[in-house]
Parts: sequence; C-alpha cells; structure tokens
Amino acid sequence: MSLAILGLSHRTASIETRERVAFGRAEVPGVLASLLEDGAAAEAVVVSTCNRTEFCVSGGDERRAVQVLRALLSRRAGTTPDALDPQLYLRRDRDAARHLFRVAAGLESMVLGEPQIQGQVREAYAVAREIVGARGSAVGPVLNRAFQSALCVGGRVRSETGIGAGAASVATAAVELAKKIYGTLRGRRALVLGAGEMSEATLELLRGEGVRSTLVANRTFERAREVAERLGARAVRFEDAIVALREVDIVVASTAAPHPVLTWERVRQVLPDGAPRPLCILDLAVPRDVEPAVGELDNVFLYNVDDLQQVVGATLGRREAELPRAEAIVEESVEEFWAWYASLTVVPTIRDLRSSGDAVRRGELDRFLRRMPHLSDADRGQIEAMTRAMLNKLLHTPTVRLRQAAGNGRGTSTLDTVRYLFELDQPSPVAGGSPEDEALDTCEEY
Amino acid sequence: VTDLLNGAALVAYGAAVAVLALSFVREVRGLSRIGTGLFAAGVVLHAGALADYVREWGELPLVGLGPSLTSLGFLLGLAALLSVTIGRAGPLGLVLVPLVAALQAGSLAAGVRPSGEAGEFQGGWFVLHVVLAFSGYVGLTVAFAAGLMYVLQFRELKSKRFGAIFRFFPPLDTLDRVGRLGLAAGFGFLTLALLVGAAWSARFGGALPSRNPDIIWGVLTWVVLAGALAARTGKGRRGHRGAVASVVGFVVVIATYLLLRIHGDPAGGFL
Repeated sequence: MSLAILGLSHRTASIETRERVAFGRAEVPGVLASLLEDGAAAEAVVVSTCNRTEFCVSGGDERRAVQVLRALLSRRAGTTPDALDPQLYLRRDRDAARHLFRVAAGLESMVLGEPQIQGQVREAYAVAREIVGARGSAVGPVLNRAFQSALCVGGRVRSETGIGAGAASVATAAVELAKKIYGTLRGRRALVLGAGEMSEATLELLRGEGVRSTLVANRTFERAREVAERLGARAVRFEDAIVALREVDIVVASTAAPHPVLTWERVRQVLPDGAPRPLCILDLAVPRDVEPAVGELDNVFLYNVDDLQQVVGATLGRREAELPRAEAIVEESVEEFWAWYASLTVVPTIRDLRSSGDAVRRGELDRFLRRMPHLSDADRGQIEAMTRAMLNKLLHTPTVRLRQAAGNGRGTSTLDTVRYLFELDQPSPVAGGSPEDEALDTCEEY
Repeated sequence: VTDLLNGAALVAYGAAVAVLALSFVREVRGLSRIGTGLFAAGVVLHAGALADYVREWGELPLVGLGPSLTSLGFLLGLAALLSVTIGRAGPLGLVLVPLVAALQAGSLAAGVRPSGEAGEFQGGWFVLHVVLAFSGYVGLTVAFAAGLMYVLQFRELKSKRFGAIFRFFPPLDTLDRVGRLGLAAGFGFLTLALLVGAAWSARFGGALPSRNPDIIWGVLTWVVLAGALAARTGKGRRGHRGAVASVVGFVVVIATYLLLRIHGDPAGGFL
C-alpha cells in the first residue's frame, strides 16, 4: 500500500504547460478508469485547475503508476517525459498527505489562502467517487480518508486562522472598498467607464454581489453595447455617463485614455454640492481616469490602483502572518492521518497473530477436553472462556505496541520480527474494508 | 444574591470588554464572537440581579443612583445585544460594552439599595416615565457609539488608510442605519417620557420647578436628540452630519449630567 502525488503546478511549470496538461471534467473518468484498469493504481483522484494538475494515487504498482502518468502528462504537454521531468514533482506517503492538505488549505495556491481551491479539491474527489471501473471505485479507503481529511483541514485553516480573510486581488479589493461604504451592494447602481478586461472583471464581481443596474460607457459606443449585452448591463454614450454620476453609487473607471476623463471641473458641474449620497469611484486605469481633486468633493470616495494595491498588500501581509498557525493545523492533521494510515499496514499482521494464537488455543483445548469426558457443558464453557481471556490478555500488549510502532515509523521492522517469531510467514493481503467504513468522518463538513 | 449576581454580571462585562479589545487589536474575529457570548452572559446575570432586587425589595430598581444606574446599564446592555446580533454591527460592542460595564461598576460603587424615596416614586406612571426616559438615553448612547465609529470609518475611507479600523469596523451604511434607529427611537421614547413625566408631576402637586435637574437634563437630552435628527436632513453628507451631531450631543449630555450632579443637591432623587 502506498500514497503518492505526481503533478505540476504554478510553482514548477509555465502557464503554457499547465494549460496543455489540464484535464476538463469530462476527461477525468476516462483517464482514471484507464489508470485503474492498468493496475498501476488501486485508487486515483486527479485535481486539475488552472494552477495545478496533480494525480493522487494509492495502491497498485507505484512505479508503474509514475511511468504511466509521466507518459500521459508529457504527451499532453507535447514533449518527452524526460523533458517534462524538471517541471514534475512526486510526493510520497507522509509528504503526499502533507502536500494534499496544504493544497486544500490554499497554502500552495498562487494567492495564499484563496478559497476556490477548497471547492476544486471537493469537486475532484466527488468526480473520482462516481467512477466505478472493473476493479471497483476510483476512491478506496486511503483516498477517501485522505480527501475527507484534506477538506477538513481546509475548513479548519480557513475558520481558525485569517489565511482567507480580506481582498487579495485588485478587483476584489475594489468590491471590498465599496462594501465598506455601502455594506451590501444588493440593489446598488454602478457606472462602468471603459470596456476593457479589467472593467469586465470588476463588473462581473459587482453583479455577483447584487449590483442591480449597471451602465457601461465607452469611447466607441458599439464596444460599450457589446460588453453591456454580454453582462446584462445598459450601454450609454460617454457624454451621458457624466450626467449619470447623480444617479449611481459606484463608478468603475478603466479606459485607455491618456488623460483624465473625469476632471474636477466636469464632475463639479454635475455635482455642484458634492454627491447627494456616498459615491464610490474606483479608478482602475493607468494613467488615471479621474483627477485626484474629485476625491475631495463632498461625499465622494475616490480610489486608484495604488490604493487598491495597498489593500491587497495589507491582506497578503496579514495572510503571511497567519501561515505558521495554518501550518500547525496541517501538521497536526498529517500526524492524525498518518497514524490511521500506518495502522492499516499492521492490521493483517495483527489479524494473523490473533488467528494463529486462536488456532493453538482451540487445538490445545480440544485435546484437553477429549481427555476430560466427565466435564459438564457448563464446565467446558468456563474453561473455553478462560482460555480465550488468557489469549486476549497475552495479545493485548503486542497489539497495542504494533499499532504504536506503525504510527511512529518503526512498523516494518517490528512487523518482520513479529511475523518471524510467530511463524506468520504466509503473506496476507493489506487490510481494506469498505471505503465508507474505513474513511472515518472524524470532523464536521466545512 | 442581588449583589452576587450584579458582581458576576460586572465580571462578565469586564471579561467581554477585554476579549473584544483583544479581538480588535489582534484582528481575530473568533475572539469577537467569544466577547459577544460573554457579554450576553453578563446581560443574563444582570437580568437575574434585577429580578432578585424586585423579589427582595418589592420595587423596581429605578430610584436612587445605584438602582438607576444598574437599570440603565441593563437597558443599554439589551440594546447593545440587539445592535450586535440583529443589527449585524458586532464591533459596536467595542464602544457599548465598556459603557455598560462602567454603568454597572458605578451602580455597585453607589450601592444597589432602595433609597427610601416617597411613595409617589413607586406608582405605574412613575415607572413608565423612568423606563421611557432611560430608553431615550439608551437610544442616544447607541447613536453615539454608531456615530463615533462612523466618523472614524469615514475618516479612514476618505484618507485611504486601510488599517485596523477599516477592516474591523462595520460599513458606513450599517453604522448610519444603527445610528439613525438609535436617534429615532431615543427621540420617540424621550418625548413620551417627558409627556408622561409632565402628567405625573401635575398629578402630584402641580408643575415641577424648572430648576429641577431631572427636568433640565431630560429636556436638554431631548433637544440634543432633536438636533441630531435635524442634522440628518438636507443635502450632502447627511450620515456624517448625523454621526457628528450624535457624538457631540452625547458628550454635551454627559458633561451636563456631571455638572448638574456636582452642583446639585446630593441628597436629591436625581439620577
């Protein structure tokens, strides 16, 4: 039995490679099924996002699994396995569990603590659970436990530390600032100046927060109409947009104009007494679209890209500071997982030890009882109970010690010794109860 | 038992203040929830103390400095709990919980015992008058807390300082809503309290002297509440004006109370 993760991520591979090797949801069942049918792995899950593609495998032939996956990934990347090797990483056993837990907690993400990865890991696990090949489900006891633990760790890290708090991108910082003014953005009105990518991204976020009515203005009206139609907004001509300042709550400015399009003079003409209610202007353009003096108007809150970067920088700084606490949670969970995982390897030996002892007990008991035919059934029952109790007492300490040895890394040598001493020479298969039984759900779902 | 429960409530309030302050300094929101839980426990203990007072003395704790302060503190505690939970303005506890703790500490220092006032200070009209008046003061205090936080958050947002206040304090809109509710409720309750008080004083020996500190303070508070509400009307930064007026008004009301208390008759029934 083994646990391994093979893959690549934003830390090791370029975006071009990551794009090529990424698996769509529809491709995953086929890939995992072939891996299982090949016998390379007994269990397999693939986590594939824009920043990482990782195969998590257990059981089977690990060496073969690595060969198959290297070949598969290099084929998709359009290169040879040897050429792809520097971008690949392989984590085994305890390191593999640690890596998976860190990924789920967002500690391996490009933006530390970003929340989407938790959902992506959950999705990868769910997809793999649905796959049932000729050799059974793609998720067995080990990966069930590993992924459930990983999701628990992700939830704990996010709820017990500030690793996911605050805005970590310019667009989310813009939304956070607007929310610090208005509370909820539900029902607010927004005006977007410019129809570039940044405007679209921010507009989408705003609409996701419940912004009700949105106007899009651009130097070319056709482009404004195109973006407005796509995002369910209304296009207005640029000259009309200035007048709309009286009616909106949020302005997102992101034009490519080389000079400010919202000058103090123009805004002052529309808002001579300042804004009638708080007006949040988010100037995402470089060079800036809004003259700084506009921010001095009554009730106007003006923020440019540097201000938003300041929010992002502060967030990331605070997240970095939370890293030691998050890592402590990960380590604690790795130890818990490893104790469980290691105990799996001793189960067959314990089982063999007990059945061997029981066979000796029953043999000796039968011989003894044959020599004592005068004993009543009650007496025979008493003697049988006594021999069983003696065997249990004798094997209790070795059983506990074996589990401890497996947990602290001395499992293999101790197992060998026990098997030698008690002549448990017949190899027995690794324990593997039903996935649901083995994957104990020890913490609440986050 | 009353003293024990009052003491326990004070301890819970003190612990809540410490935990809330720590949650702000260290920016741990989980601590804020613990602080709110401790505060809620304090309010429950406080309610128990008031109930035991009524059982022991056969009257509501509304007359005399100690009983009045503890009742006012309890009403403020209830309002603070409502603001923090239903009003979704958790950090408001940073200002309100210390005030509740201070009122409770003041009441214990003054002694929570009946003052032996005349019988007319026991009737239903008197109780209604005092409870309405206290509710008015509570409204102003909540408006003050929300206003203070609004002014600080407004300054952070306008000057683009994204520090602990920006992150921890509620949004301007939430603070404005809580402040507006506090002012409106306070004004309504105090208006009713003054009307009931006038009717009650007419019932017992005609009009009260205009130099009565209770009347001076009550009318001044009513004017402050009316002024703060008026400041919220008109164009421009209504929320900001209302917040500043609430803060300034609260300070004026407290300063006036202290002046009246220092220069007034210490044996009088004034709060």
